[in-house]
Amino acid sequence: MMTTATLVTHQTTGVPTNWYLALSGVLFLLGLLGVLTRRNPLMLLLAVELMLNSANIALVGFSRYWNVSDGQVFALVVMVVAAAEVVIGLGLIVAVYRQRLALDVDALSRLKG
Amino acid sequence: MGERIFFGIAALGAISSGVAVVTVRNPFRAAVALIVALISVALIFLLQHAPFVAMIQIIVYAGAVVVLFLFVIAYLGERPPNLGPDPLAEYQVFTWIAIIGLGIEGFLALVNSHLPGVHSNPTITSDIGSPHAIGNAFIDQFSVPFEATSLVLLVAAIGAVLLARRAVLGERGR
Repeated sequence: MMTTATLVTHQTTGVPTNWYLALSGVLFLLGLLGVLTRRNPLMLLLAVELMLNSANIALVGFSRYWNVSDGQVFALVVMVVAAAEVVIGLGLIVAVYRQRLALDVDALSRLKG
Repeated sequence: MGERIFFGIAALGAISSGVAVVTVRNPFRAAVALIVALISVALIFLLQHAPFVAMIQIIVYAGAVVVLFLFVIAYLGERPPNLGPDPLAEYQVFTWIAIIGLGIEGFLALVNSHLPGVHSNPTITSDIGSPHAIGNAFIDQFSVPFEATSLVLLVAAIGAVLLARRAVLGERGR
């Protein structure tokens, strides 16, 4: 069964959709800055979590915009993928640490072409 | 008006703790700042008529995922690794060019957007965020993605076990 998304009427009070999108964009840029500048892989994972959360804000915001649950379901799936990503990422970090290598993403470049 | 004040407080909390996550040197403090950011995002979800997603955010993210982070940080030792000078420091200007360029692009896209009603507040006419509505959506429309997420979790669990096993074998069982 597919529910058709219909554009609902809008009101001028309350928080408009583009405020949520702006907040989402700011958080995404912050996370991107962290991913591009930090060298500790743990901090990289924390910044990636921030980026995934900003994407979730936009998804839930558009769920509200279209008055359907789809975006919220998508946000829940993103959370599952984020949990899987954290498990694998932290497993890799612990494996690197136990090999007594430096925890520096710039130093771990043996796979670079 | 009250909604806008609530939004301002939550957004300020999310952005300031996000800055802390990205700038703080100590991984433990960064993880605690991430908890604050995640709870602020949960408040934003509450404001967006998504109470179920907000609760899952607090339970799964601020609870389980960050505790996993803190556990690994405690295992690795709290001291930040001594890395020395950054060999790629001369390229950092390109990072800022990318961030500022993307920011300007996103701002222009938002301001000039012709999406109908994106500059105003949509009226919610039906129940979209309760556990009942989310459960119905998963059963009616999204049962295949739901099963796919279980496969993703299974693959992640197998991967984590294999990674841990290889790390132990690499040390010859020490």
